Amino acid sequence: MSDLKQIPVVAKETGKERTNPLANVFDELIRFAQARSMFMLHYCTGCGAIELPPAMTSRFDMERLGIQPMVTPRQADILLITGYVSIKTLKRIILTYEQMPSPKYVIGICSCTVNGGMYWQSYATAKKLNEYLPVDLYIAGCMPRPEAVIEGLRLLMDNIKSGKSEPWKDYYQRYDYYLGNQQHLFGDDWQTPTDIIGEAEHFGLMGPETEGEHTRLLQQHQQPLEPHKMRLK
Amino acid sequence: MMTLITELFLMPLVAFVIGLFMVLMMRKIGARLQRRVGPPFFQPLIDIIKFHSKETQISHGLIHDIGIIMAVGGYIAAETLLPVPGMDGIADKGGIIALTYFLMIPSLGLALGVGQCANPNGSIGISRALTAMLAYDIPFVIVIFGVSWHYGTTNLVEMVNYQQANGWGIVEMPILALAGLFTLQGIMGKQPFEIYVAPAEIATGPMVEMGGKYMGGLFIMQAFQFYTAGVLYTTLFLGGGENWPTFLMKIFIVVSIPIMIAYMFPRYRTEDMLRLMWKWPVIAGLIGLALVMH
Amino acid sequence: MTLLDGLILLALISVLVTMLGYRLPVIGWLTSALFAGQLLVLFLMSGLGYGGDTIHSSVALSIFGQPLSWRFDALSWFFALITIGAALASSLFAAGEWGRQYRQNGGNPGLLQFSLALNVLTMLILLASGDLLALFIGWELVSWASFLLMAMAGGAAFSWAMRYITYATGGAMAILAGMGMVYQMTGSLQYADLMAVAGQLSQAQVVILSLLFGSGFAIKMGVLPFHLWQAGAYAETPGPGTAFLGSISSRMGLYGILVVLVQLIGLGRLIEIDISFTWLSLRDLLMWVAAITIILPTFTALRQNDARRLLAWHGVGQGGYMLLGIFSATALGSSGGLMHVFNHATYQAALFLSVYAVVHRTGTADLNKLGGLVTRMPLSFLVMLVGIIGLAGIPPMNGFVSKWLVYRSLLIEGMPLLFVASVIGTLGTILSVYKLIHNMFLGQLRAEHSEIREAPWSMMLPMLVLSLIVFITGFMPGLALDWVAAAQAAVGLPVLQHSLGGVEMEQGGLDMTWLVAVLFAGFGIGALLFYSTGKTRHVNQLDNYAGGHFLTADVRYHYSDHFYAGLMHRIGHWYRESFQWLESVLISLTGFVAQGASGFYRIVQPALLMLVVVVLALWVVR
Repeated sequence: MSDLKQIPVVAKETGKERTNPLANVFDELIRFAQARSMFMLHYCTGCGAIELPPAMTSRFDMERLGIQPMVTPRQADILLITGYVSIKTLKRIILTYEQMPSPKYVIGICSCTVNGGMYWQSYATAKKLNEYLPVDLYIAGCMPRPEAVIEGLRLLMDNIKSGKSEPWKDYYQRYDYYLGNQQHLFGDDWQTPTDIIGEAEHFGLMGPETEGEHTRLLQQHQQPLEPHKMRLK
Repeated sequence: MMTLITELFLMPLVAFVIGLFMVLMMRKIGARLQRRVGPPFFQPLIDIIKFHSKETQISHGLIHDIGIIMAVGGYIAAETLLPVPGMDGIADKGGIIALTYFLMIPSLGLALGVGQCANPNGSIGISRALTAMLAYDIPFVIVIFGVSWHYGTTNLVEMVNYQQANGWGIVEMPILALAGLFTLQGIMGKQPFEIYVAPAEIATGPMVEMGGKYMGGLFIMQAFQFYTAGVLYTTLFLGGGENWPTFLMKIFIVVSIPIMIAYMFPRYRTEDMLRLMWKWPVIAGLIGLALVMH
Repeated sequence: MTLLDGLILLALISVLVTMLGYRLPVIGWLTSALFAGQLLVLFLMSGLGYGGDTIHSSVALSIFGQPLSWRFDALSWFFALITIGAALASSLFAAGEWGRQYRQNGGNPGLLQFSLALNVLTMLILLASGDLLALFIGWELVSWASFLLMAMAGGAAFSWAMRYITYATGGAMAILAGMGMVYQMTGSLQYADLMAVAGQLSQAQVVILSLLFGSGFAIKMGVLPFHLWQAGAYAETPGPGTAFLGSISSRMGLYGILVVLVQLIGLGRLIEIDISFTWLSLRDLLMWVAAITIILPTFTALRQNDARRLLAWHGVGQGGYMLLGIFSATALGSSGGLMHVFNHATYQAALFLSVYAVVHRTGTADLNKLGGLVTRMPLSFLVMLVGIIGLAGIPPMNGFVSKWLVYRSLLIEGMPLLFVASVIGTLGTILSVYKLIHNMFLGQLRAEHSEIREAPWSMMLPMLVLSLIVFITGFMPGLALDWVAAAQAAVGLPVLQHSLGGVEMEQGGLDMTWLVAVLFAGFGIGALLFYSTGKTRHVNQLDNYAGGHFLTADVRYHYSDHFYAGLMHRIGHWYRESFQWLESVLISLTGFVAQGASGFYRIVQPALLMLVVVVLALWVVR
């Protein structure tokens, strides 16, 4: 599934056609806002980080495109992963990704995220990021110049505006696949604090492959993290 | 009665729109000082729409929600206490002391909401923010006392009337105005007094668990905060609003001063902020007070 | 038989019932019912609160040729209302499950109810006193009754209570000495006689009289520098007893000050007296004492790690606002000070009770061992929230109104430094109460507290009613200001012209009904904005940003200890050991004053008993 185009995006449930013409305008507005205001959380593991400050500061100035750095996953829209992803790091990346509010986008920068790059032979490096997370966009290069980074972000922006960039739904709809790959790497007792299946149910994002053998495995030994409901009794 | 109700709705709305422009101005000034282009015109509004359109959002509980509601709602209510040209709202029901305490409601709401998040970064941020409040409010109340004594009233509408009849407060109380400007830096929470946000250290402190509409609410709150700071200072020292063009000019100039200072400074530690705030603005405030009251 | 006789008789019956029936399991409910009955009688007397005529008791005695009389005026009624209300809330809190658990833990809830009833009786006698001798008798009764309540838990509580009674005895000596002076000057101990000569007293006499009476009453009030007994003594009292003591007991000192300094001697005399080498008058000096009483205890409260201690220290600090307001001698300020008595009693009782609800469920009041209880005890949280907003003096609760009145009067009078000092106290309070609610109710819920339930209804009911009062008198302060105005008239202070929403003034008034209505409308719009957009999902507290770290339940990450680290970095060293030093100085000073006072005492009454008690008590405390 390395090819982005092959990722099947489950269409919105039919029968709920918008009849109100204003609703489309409203959707358009929201997509525009989402495209023109992208707060990014950069998860910089290795060398790629050095290309981001120039992209943000006076030379290239991302802010003119509405792109700003943010510091916690809760506030961010884009998870920017630069450099090689070791297995230990990948756990944190997945945790961080799952804590972001959707719609959320993942951008892999540098060759290492695409295929492991020069760490191809390393036993401790995750090679293809999109096996574990739905990656919207790769910006290849070792390392890509700020121009390339901004070009990539503009591409993402166009995708969002035209409604094409929805791999984040894929993570909910085919959670079993991603979880399987994660379990393959981290072992069967892998669990994050975020309950993706519960979230998918809550927000109506369930797909045919949300649950499967891997999620069953997860549920076997998952320590449930129920929210503390406010209660009187 | 109808006009009053219209005013009560209109005043927060106007405040929000102007506040958005102030946020834009802040970001533009920051960008220009760093020789950048800066964000597009609608960026502050787009950010807020974006945050409110998030599809999956998490909440840490009811108090987390109520915190944001109090933060936004408290400011909406507080804006009706600030007279603007042509609209007095309920400014005569409260006055400057009530307003000062009213402005603590949003902060209290935010503090409660952050507390419920159970994130130590957030709690540290709140502890620092409250300490900062203790720091800047001491010179601020000195200024408030001096101003109210000088005008002989706590009613903001009366203060505006006095200034429009007898000249601006900044001319009659320059030292107090200076102290007020100093504290404005703290009230707006800008550098060098933004240790409670400290993005790289405590992950934006109070905002650490705020995503989606929670963060959107805080962006709205920021717009209100800037507007309130600008209008309050203008009302106390710059003659308030005679008509909208001059009023807008005044409040934007007032807000731009702390912002310009902010982008040239790193930040002080909490204890250094306390020392600074309890020293220079307090000394200036007391001198100004002595001159006003002698 | 007048209504006053009925009231005191009912209080006496309550004492007798609790004394005889303290073993009964229903004694708590019975006592509550008796308190409710007393409250009812008080409501029958409510004409007093709206400017009615003084009600005299038909009982009159004569000791050593001194006639003793009792009566209730608007001020007495105002204080009695608070007293009985606080006692009812405390008694109700203790009546149900709290009392059962207390009994299981080896305590005696019947004794607690008895102490409450006894305290109420003695306070009513004090409030009803119609001359200085009756006042002194009432005063001594109140001292020993509170001593009983403080000491009943034994152990640490007993040693704190001993400390209290040492101070109290010293204070009583001072009052007695003052009375001796009055007797020498007028040949009588009647209020009217003192009032008649107050205008002709020499300045020295006024100074000595006000210092003697003032310090005597100030000890009960916990005014600096006589405050060191209070926080500990109150905090160690079992449960609802703390709420009662914290909300009203120490205000008896304020009542004494109001009667003697304000009503009899008159603040006008104090304003006339200039202190040499300063710009201050005697009144200003007392105001500064009040201001320091606000600041120092508040910042001591900030350092406490025990919820009860924290609140008890605030109780000391808030007393300063009342004094500050009353000594300002204006209609605004004194109404603020008097109203603060009422307000403080309501929110302080609510706060203490909610702390004790938490203690009831978790077994600890240690602010470093709690957290996240809001999901388990939401109503207690609500009560505490209302209480802290009141205590911190933030709208829309009643604490704001009384503090606003004080600020406003300081503004009009042109007392900038006192104004700043009182605001500093408020800011310190905000810091401290946030720490309180954060460390108990917000943040991480401990694993061992995950099965905790909300406090039972018998405990919730008084808490909720109290918080409702806190809100309603904040929303419509005019309700309480009516009584305050009547009390002002009774002690001869200028009377505040008020409306239901607060004060209407040319130069900036306050209308809480409008402010609160608009505030809640704002909240409504905020809620509309919030709930109309985006769906949210509740998550576990472990689903939290920790820099990519996986949080687990066994790791405690609640930020509670040393909460204001940055602030303490700057002001921490100001605390040092100064309080211990002050206390040791005070204990020697009390002994010294006691000796001096005993001189007077020997002149008036040849009995060395008091001195013996002081010496003994000092010896125990040391």
